[in-house]
Amino acid sequence: MAATDAKKLSKKRKVAPEEEAPVPAPSAFPQEVGLEMGSEDEDGDEDEASDDGEVEDFPEIDASSDTEDEGDDEDELDDEEDEDEGESDASDDSLHVWPKPKTVISDITGQPIRVYPDIEPDYDSDSSTEDTPNRVGDIPMHWYDDLPHVGYDINGKKVLRPARGDELDKFLKTVEDPEAWTSAFDKNMQSDKPLTSEELDIIRRLQQNENPDANYDPYEPTVEWFTGKGKEEVMPLSAAPEPKRRWVPSKWEKQKVMKIVRAIRQGRILPNKPKTASGAPQFYAIWNEDPSTGPAPAPAPKPTLPGNSESYNPPEEYVPTPEERKKWEETDPEDREREFLPQKYAALRLVPAYDNFIKERFSRQLDLYLAPRVQRVKLRIDPESLIPKLPSPSSLRPFPVYRSLQVPHEEVRTRAISVSPDGAWVVSGDESGLVRLWEVLVGKEVKRWKFKGKVGAVEWCPRMDVSFFAVGIEDHIHFLIPPNLPGPILTATQNVLAPATLPPPPATASPVKWNSVPAAQSSSDAPILTLSLPSSPEPPKQLVWHRKGDYLASVSEAQGGVWMHQISRRHSQAPFKKVKGQVQLVLFHPTKPHFFVATQRYVRMYNLAEQTLLKTLTPGIRWISSMDVHPSGDHLIVGGYDRKLCWFDLELSDKPYKILRYHARALRSVAFHPTYPLFASSSDDGSIQIFHARVYNDLMTNPLIVPLKILRGHGVREGLGVFAVRWVPRQPWLVSAGADGQVAVWCA
Amino acid sequence: MGRIKQRGKAGAAKAYVTRSAAVKKLQCSLADFRRLCILKGIFPREPRNRKKANKGSSAPTNFYYAKDIAYLAHEPVLRKLREHKAFAKKLSRALGRGEWSSAKSLEENKPVYRLDHIIKERYPTFVDAVRDIDDALCMIFLFASLPSDSKVSPSLIENCARLAAEWQLYVMHTHALRKTFLSIKGVYYQAEVFDQTVTWLVPYQFTQTIPTDVDVRVMLTFLELYQTLLGFVFFKIYTDAGLVYPPPLDTKKDEGAAGVGAFSLEEAKAARPAAAPAKSKVVEVDGKRISSKDVRQTIKSIAASGSGDADVEMSTADAPANEDDEEFVEDNTEEDPEDAPSAPAFTTATLPTLKTLSTLPQSTSAKLFAPYTFWLSRETSRPIFEFLVRAFGGRIGWPASSGSGSPFDEDDESITHVIIDRPLVQRANETDAEKERRRRRKHVQPQWVVDCINAGRILLEDLYAQGKTLPPHLSPFGEHAEAYDPTAGLTGAAEDEEMDEEVEGEDDAEVAAEDSEEEEARPAKSALKAAATAEDAAALRAAELAAEAAGIDFGTFEKEAKKAQKKVKKGDAPQEEAGEQNMNKMMMSNKQRKLYERMKYGQKKRAEERQDLEQKKRSIEKEKKRRAKA
Repeated sequence: MAATDAKKLSKKRKVAPEEEAPVPAPSAFPQEVGLEMGSEDEDGDEDEASDDGEVEDFPEIDASSDTEDEGDDEDELDDEEDEDEGESDASDDSLHVWPKPKTVISDITGQPIRVYPDIEPDYDSDSSTEDTPNRVGDIPMHWYDDLPHVGYDINGKKVLRPARGDELDKFLKTVEDPEAWTSAFDKNMQSDKPLTSEELDIIRRLQQNENPDANYDPYEPTVEWFTGKGKEEVMPLSAAPEPKRRWVPSKWEKQKVMKIVRAIRQGRILPNKPKTASGAPQFYAIWNEDPSTGPAPAPAPKPTLPGNSESYNPPEEYVPTPEERKKWEETDPEDREREFLPQKYAALRLVPAYDNFIKERFSRQLDLYLAPRVQRVKLRIDPESLIPKLPSPSSLRPFPVYRSLQVPHEEVRTRAISVSPDGAWVVSGDESGLVRLWEVLVGKEVKRWKFKGKVGAVEWCPRMDVSFFAVGIEDHIHFLIPPNLPGPILTATQNVLAPATLPPPPATASPVKWNSVPAAQSSSDAPILTLSLPSSPEPPKQLVWHRKGDYLASVSEAQGGVWMHQISRRHSQAPFKKVKGQVQLVLFHPTKPHFFVATQRYVRMYNLAEQTLLKTLTPGIRWISSMDVHPSGDHLIVGGYDRKLCWFDLELSDKPYKILRYHARALRSVAFHPTYPLFASSSDDGSIQIFHARVYNDLMTNPLIVPLKILRGHGVREGLGVFAVRWVPRQPWLVSAGADGQVAVWCA
Repeated sequence: MGRIKQRGKAGAAKAYVTRSAAVKKLQCSLADFRRLCILKGIFPREPRNRKKANKGSSAPTNFYYAKDIAYLAHEPVLRKLREHKAFAKKLSRALGRGEWSSAKSLEENKPVYRLDHIIKERYPTFVDAVRDIDDALCMIFLFASLPSDSKVSPSLIENCARLAAEWQLYVMHTHALRKTFLSIKGVYYQAEVFDQTVTWLVPYQFTQTIPTDVDVRVMLTFLELYQTLLGFVFFKIYTDAGLVYPPPLDTKKDEGAAGVGAFSLEEAKAARPAAAPAKSKVVEVDGKRISSKDVRQTIKSIAASGSGDADVEMSTADAPANEDDEEFVEDNTEEDPEDAPSAPAFTTATLPTLKTLSTLPQSTSAKLFAPYTFWLSRETSRPIFEFLVRAFGGRIGWPASSGSGSPFDEDDESITHVIIDRPLVQRANETDAEKERRRRRKHVQPQWVVDCINAGRILLEDLYAQGKTLPPHLSPFGEHAEAYDPTAGLTGAAEDEEMDEEVEGEDDAEVAAEDSEEEEARPAKSALKAAATAEDAAALRAAELAAEAAGIDFGTFEKEAKKAQKKVKKGDAPQEEAGEQNMNKMMMSNKQRKLYERMKYGQKKRAEERQDLEQKKRSIEKEKKRRAKA
């Protein structure tokens, strides 16, 4: 190394400018030192040769460079000395681990490159691992925490854990050993190891926020590799002569400029005229050319013209009274019907400024650009023409119009009534358990039965050859025979209800028990036949007879509470294994073997013969309260607690043909008249509404529904009105039972 | 199978865009978007289904037509706005660096947008533009009366005042004014220009201040558009009337607060080649005659800004001399040659053209004040009454305190009416001449002028004489059909009242009389009952005979019969009808019922309003009567 330095020094005077590159600062890393030095040597040689070449071609340039070199020399010498000191430091470092590279000139690039000696692949070649006897590698050392050794050496022998003293030993060591504070714990060997001086130097540099590389010189002079003295491109790239346009002024440019100059002289161009037009806009006949064919945008609606109330001197009646004024002032400005208060001034000179003028203008403008505009067709019709023209009720007589008699039930809610098929008798049951039999025409009570519990439903058997009715109380259905029946009918009835020879019991035992009193012992005082349903807390909500009088369906509150009872076979069965939702009502179709089941929201129509679901009707009612089917069987009305009544045309659709909402409160009962084209609905508002409902045979004509009469007379108790309405067969009469404990008969 | 429809690719979702989407698409600020919307007349639309238009969201937003926004995207004004944004940045940068010269040159080359194309787009035909100038006029007149401040520049106000004066000049020149209404907000004027009714509102002359909750930028943007629109409209109407636009302004007069009088209407010479060559051209300006020579002189004087007073005096001197050819200017527009052939056609053919029809009835009322000369008392508003009187062909003068430019003095002999708004005061030291003058002139309150205009004829001055309580001033624009009519209400109300009293009185009497005269009254009553139920004339006649037989004279019978009939009608028939109708309402569909209820609600409200007013009127009348008796 020293030899090369000396050589460099001797050559220094003739070094080309590029060689003024600073000699790097002393480095801890010998390979870098080698690089710099090597490069200088080689460059020096190179430049000798190149200089020679240059001298031949451009001697004058060479001379100038020489003179400049002279001036720099002294500085360079100083530099050199400094560097030498640094280098001596670096050479002291014997701790380099890398082999020394050789610097050679590359054949391809002509630049110096470093060439390292080949690494021989034997164990000794890798000096980096030489002094670490523990060869376990880079593993977490805590694996050896419990073991006496810390790993294995190259021969597979255990490297024993060096003895580690306690804290006191450690402390004493730090006191005794002067190197203790420059040593660090070596995990691999599990012992303290003194840091090398270069490691300490790196730490020091890091602490001082310096570059950890000791060789790095932040103040290196720039190396001008491609520019500067002596680097000029002396040979032209092209031998073509300089074009004329490079030095002759352009003719065309001159012509263009002259054109502008002439225009300025003639005043066609104003040199410093501002491009923006002066403030006043120029107006011209903009509408002289033909308008575009497209339609003009719709003009904005004009504000309403002022009325008399806006006058400065209105008629006195327009002037608001103090109350009106106060009311106007108290309302929010947005809610006011008009934005000003009419005022009366005796003379025009007394009229003050209108303080909302600008605000009103502004709000008009907001309307113009912010308000969505919608074109609305104004209806110029008489509102009365919207009311449908229906035939007059007087032309649709007979229908019930007045209350002919009233049967008081001791102020007890009467939920159940039924009219006998011959239309002469009414049986009514109230919540105290009393069932009364009375006569339609005069209201004479013939008999009463007392039961325990509330009467939920009563229903006459529709057969004409026998006469009895069913009463639903709690979990029992009692069959009663009215008194004073003619002999043949009585025996026929007794035969039906309590036959001498009981039919064979069904194969599968039913939970419903049939108990009858023998015909001989039976009387009209006690039920002749009693059905015990599986226990349920509430009375049966509804009893429905099939038109032939053999089947009786009962609905009760319990889950799966629909039972079908056959009188002739004395057999009960539950037709549905499982019904979605709670069954509210059931109904037999008047002509076909169909069966309607109303749950809370839907009405399902089943075919009992085929045991299939035919239809699901969706009335759109939240909670169905009542239902009845037209005697023709093609139409169904459904009433709901949400005040709606839906008319279904079963042939037409699953959706209602008509939805009527006229009652003020929940509907409780609807009923079709069996023979007259009438139906009635009763509601919790205490009123009964009678409709004319004409159904046509041809499918094209829609049913005609005409409201006929509102019957009022029932009182409303605790929010409950008329519970049930029933028509008297063969008469346009209506029987109604209310929460006020009255049962009334309405006659035409 | 057709192509699968994708959500949001067609229909309302595509046809509408929300405002924020529009702003994003146009890549401009919200303020610029607002400006564009105002200038282009684009407003939000209400989609049929908001949810469908907003891609399922029901958040409250404004919707625009997507096509409107696409149409805005290549608007030259939008480009200019963007350029202006860049300019503002450059300018602030130059100013921040203290580069004054570059800032100055930037300022000189500031991008400015023009609205001509927008006017043409929004109003393809002239009539469209005239139809839509109501709002523009209101704004112009409002800003003409505003004080200037940091937001509202003086030049803007000056321009508005000029436009306002130009419009008034035109209306006066063509006698296009039809109706006027003195309201508490200001004065409403209604003119008929090119067969379009134009209504505008002018505030009373007080200083208005812009409230803080009013966004002046919005108003100024509107004003920008309106100024351009009115400029083009005025150019058209002036040139069509054969006048030069803009009318030259006499700065001297303007400084003397001459108002409208500072402008002089000038004939466009090239426009009317057929105008009487023999006569020297005489133009009616401000109710004065000015020959073409004078006009030339005036122009010269304006150009030289020489003494303006000289030609004022000259023109006033000319005025009486040229009185005889007063009609000359009236219909000297371009339409003259068109009218000429139409005139014989009108005499021969029975069908008059639309034009002749529209011009015919106006001729009487359009020059309502032509025979009169008015003097304005100093407490009356000069701009209002100068405009009104001159628009109807009258001459008007005013004291110097109301501004310069009055064509005559107070002691002019030709003055027929004095518009005065002061209580009557007896002056002790009145000379004979003054008394005489006072006797000759009619002193009327300002409302007389307006009521005359609205009535279309000269009303009696006595009702409006100085110091009298004025009759109510009613709106000439009319109210809706069912509204309360203060003029017609009197008779009906009186009748009702009479009826009420009668009924009350008679009920008492009847109760008393019934017992005593039961036997006598019975046949009479039955006759009356018959009369009441009688449906046709024959039955009524029979009842009449019966009554006569019972000894009732015809007068009383007739009265009673009428009353009984009314009662019967009121009694049964309507009740039944109402009951049936109420029940039939059940059968209405939901939609119909809602519509019905809405209509009924409106009807009821209007009727209530009307009844309220009638009731008030009745009580006021009663009060008056009582006071008169006492």
